Amino acid sequence: MSADPFFLLVAILFSIGLIGVASRKNLFVVYMSIELMLSSVNLLLATLSQVLGDANASVIALLLIGVIAAEAALFLAIITHLYREKRTLDSDKFKNLSKVK
Amino acid sequence: MLDFNTLETIVFSILTLFMVGGSLVMITSKQTIFSAFGFLLAMIALGGMFALLNNRFLSIAQIMVSVGAIVILSMLTILTVNAKEENMPEEKNKFILISISAIIVSPFTFLLYKALTTLPEHFTKMQTINSKVIGSLLFSEWVLPFEILSILLMSAMLGAIIIAKDKLKGENS
Repeated sequence: MSADPFFLLVAILFSIGLIGVASRKNLFVVYMSIELMLSSVNLLLATLSQVLGDANASVIALLLIGVIAAEAALFLAIITHLYREKRTLDSDKFKNLSKVK
Repeated sequence: MLDFNTLETIVFSILTLFMVGGSLVMITSKQTIFSAFGFLLAMIALGGMFALLNNRFLSIAQIMVSVGAIVILSMLTILTVNAKEENMPEEKNKFILISISAIIVSPFTFLLYKALTTLPEHFTKMQTINSKVIGSLLFSEWVLPFEILSILLMSAMLGAIIIAKDKLKGENS
């Protein structure tokens, strides 16, 4: 078995995350889809690290886990703040910066 | 190249089932907490996938940080926010939207797969890896990104506190 199934899995996971960001309105689901896309990149880095025998990719994946943690903290704080402002989790309700009212 | 025996192929299939199923549950379920459970399943399976790739260090980091911190923090926030039914977004034709975006995204998926399969040919192959090599690389070549990451984590923590706290009492608005 070559590494191709891993690459297929990475592509599928990234696309599921993209579909979640594009089609859902719930802020929490959008957040988790972004996390899923980041994690699929992590899996790609780990696979490449194993296929090439290169430890640098593992180090990048480890640093990426830290970046994902920072992103989670900020995103959850923003969701809490937005919910407190407007009492809704609908992403369509937050369009103060948009021209289309 | 990876050479898997039958047992590892079976484990890979089960983990793939968990990951794809968990993420599908995540983007389709109506209740937010069920989405979080699907996400949890996908993250645990990703940790198993790292273990299958013979990368113990990354697997433990994934279980500790992604599962232990991020997913649990998300669940706590979901339960603390405790949104009622009328505060949730109304998504009547959710499945139609998901199917349309799946149709739009699927050529991109194929393209990504084709691009990724040719990716390893463009790099030179190196020695085998283990945790010792990763640790020594992390603290020699990658020490500057490591320090920048610690600053990023601290500023994210401060920013999260400042964004999420109530307004100060002096500000009347």
